[in-house]
Amino acid sequence: MDTTTPATGDAPSSLLVHAVEQVVLGDRTAYRGGQLTVGVEQAHDALADPALSSVRVHATNPGDPVRIVKLLDVVEPRTKGPGRGGVFPGFLAPPRPDRPRQTHVLRGAAVMAAGALPRNQEGIVDMSGPAAEVSPYAATSNVVVEFARTDDASWEDVDVALRRGLLRLAVHLADAAAEADPDDVEEWAPPARPGPGDLPRVGVVTNLQTQGSFKDVYVYGRSFATSLPTLIDPFEVDDGAIVGGQFGHPGLRNSTYVHQNHPVVAELRRRHGHDLSFAGLVICPEPVDQHAKDHISAHAARLCIAAGFDAAVVTKEGGGNADADASLKMDRLEDAGIAAVGMFAEFAGPDGTGPPLVFPPRRATAMVSTGNYDERLQLPAMERTLGGDRVDIADADADAAMELPVATIHGSLNLLGGGRLRAQEEAA
Amino acid sequence: MRVVHYLNQFQAGVGGEDAASTPPQVHDELVGPSRLLARLLEPGGEQSGDAHEVVASISCGDDHAASDPGVMTEVLRLAREVGAEMIVAGPAFGSGRYGLACGRLVAGAAAEGMPAIAGMHPDNPGVDQAGGAVVVAAGASTREMRPSMERLAAAALKVAAGEPVTAEDGRVGRIPRRTTTVEQPAAVRAVDLALARLAGDRDATEIPAGLFDVVSPAGPVEDPAEATIALVTEGALVPAGNPDRLEAARATRWVHYPLDGVTALAAGDYESVHGGFSPAAANADPHRILPLDVARELEEQGRIGALHHEYLATAGNGTAVANARRFGVEWAARLHGSGVQAAILTAT
Repeated sequence: MDTTTPATGDAPSSLLVHAVEQVVLGDRTAYRGGQLTVGVEQAHDALADPALSSVRVHATNPGDPVRIVKLLDVVEPRTKGPGRGGVFPGFLAPPRPDRPRQTHVLRGAAVMAAGALPRNQEGIVDMSGPAAEVSPYAATSNVVVEFARTDDASWEDVDVALRRGLLRLAVHLADAAAEADPDDVEEWAPPARPGPGDLPRVGVVTNLQTQGSFKDVYVYGRSFATSLPTLIDPFEVDDGAIVGGQFGHPGLRNSTYVHQNHPVVAELRRRHGHDLSFAGLVICPEPVDQHAKDHISAHAARLCIAAGFDAAVVTKEGGGNADADASLKMDRLEDAGIAAVGMFAEFAGPDGTGPPLVFPPRRATAMVSTGNYDERLQLPAMERTLGGDRVDIADADADAAMELPVATIHGSLNLLGGGRLRAQEEAA
Repeated sequence: MRVVHYLNQFQAGVGGEDAASTPPQVHDELVGPSRLLARLLEPGGEQSGDAHEVVASISCGDDHAASDPGVMTEVLRLAREVGAEMIVAGPAFGSGRYGLACGRLVAGAAAEGMPAIAGMHPDNPGVDQAGGAVVVAAGASTREMRPSMERLAAAALKVAAGEPVTAEDGRVGRIPRRTTTVEQPAAVRAVDLALARLAGDRDATEIPAGLFDVVSPAGPVEDPAEATIALVTEGALVPAGNPDRLEAARATRWVHYPLDGVTALAAGDYESVHGGFSPAAANADPHRILPLDVARELEEQGRIGALHHEYLATAGNGTAVANARRFGVEWAARLHGSGVQAAILTAT
């Protein structure tokens, strides 16, 4: 299964998919027959960092009577094979361009950290019950990492330690499947080069919320906050070139996991050569300054023109501030003759009667709704909790029944398009 | 269902403007248009197949009803006392006070899970008060009672049956947007929409443009040296310890604190409790959220007339747009009432 095809050019890439049905704790990490066993000591080794005085690893599966609170990032286990490096380029190894274009994926498994971290907007995943239906992380078999801070460590150090630790743990777990026959092999061509063709060229523009400490996204191991928009090979993103460190609204947060499985990229790949031609992926920072938002939007539009986009799906991350980044880009794209479609969660208030966006586009009017942020959800009491004993936003014990806005459920309003929630007029 | 009908003093036959201060009352028998409603809803009646009985008329004088939102809480309590399972209010036609009362009443009932519907002219300010409850259009005046009540009764039957009421039924006002689960993920719908737009469909969207506010900036202040300027912020800057417990996200409230005699905002005396960004820089120097330092300099130099004696603050973080708009109206009223000509709103 070894290739060393250079990552440049038009070579296809492949994902070697190993299905995970269940995750359990054990003595040694192993993968067999859909069961992933997490070697507890090995996991502790992967997470070891001077900023963390202790870690505890838990396993929980879909349908369990478990509530995960204070969730931070979520990562899908992937690897190129034991000792080889190559995934999460820039984080675990230099981003070498000659990495093999084959990646093992533990589909159905996820690794996540949960616990108190300042500036994390608190959110929940219920592994069963009504809230389970709206979170992608209730459908995965999860390895949940709880942690304690070393007394003299800063929270910034804790953040860094958890991010690296989760990535190392994700690779360690995927390594266990590297010798197994894959259940499925997905082969994807890179985006088509601009040129004559009959099919419309559709691409995707993905905004990453880059607004400072605890609200940042990393590309090749570095904060993307000061970067210009760039085209990026979607296979680099499959490999974890984008890593989330953005702890804003849980329902509006694009975790590392959803970047690894970018739903719009997946859809464009699936339809490539049928009713469209996949034109490419552009990633953009979401700056806080209005002039920078304008500038970044204009630059992104120029990239889309150069890459020959006929149409673009524009995705955002975060709350009302980030509406502006998406809306400005959509208008820029439309002005350049590129059809733009935005993907937005709505802020229509608990009764759904308020205006839905903070900053709507003026000329680009095509939008997809991923649900109303403020819609209320009733959560039942839950037997067991991970990540903490309290849910501060509900002022309740973590295992209690509570009413919360859907936006507090992790991944519920999935702004990369993976969810099936939609707000619409009552009568429709 | 046991239906209670709400109407104003005029329609109930209590009196005209002279009786506008009459408090809420339950009538001994159905009065005025309640009888028409009862005929339209009764089993085997003109429109109904199901058993719906109008069990009481409740009326209130227009002035009394519009004076205080709490009055409609009292009306709702009276309705429950006579066994209401559903509220029908109006039609209020073009009457603003009556419409306000109907809107508040059905909003209150709907919030408690009781089916409720009001009828009024689409321009009646009461339409905005109805929250997520159903309002259907009525004519401009009582001369259109018969067709207006027929429309109200027909829609009431749908509300009673739990069926959607649409524009075809005469529904007016903002129709609530509810989150539902649909067949296709958003990514698939977005790609479909992109192809449709490329193919020339410029109207297709899941979020219609008509739902947005477009805000025009006010004109410039003629002479800042003569003006009183206020500082306001959505950066959630509050005195240390957050004495009024301003929310960090999804704010439903705003707060105000004095600036009289305050020349600087010392680190440690103020903090930002905003949940949407790292407040480290703001807490190290609170002026970076609320620029009192520069404002006092401008005041000293006479470049602004005066700095307003308090600042207003909320947290702009996942705030429902409708709440944000309400804060704006309330801030404008407070500042305008204090003789302020301009405000500097710092955002995060």
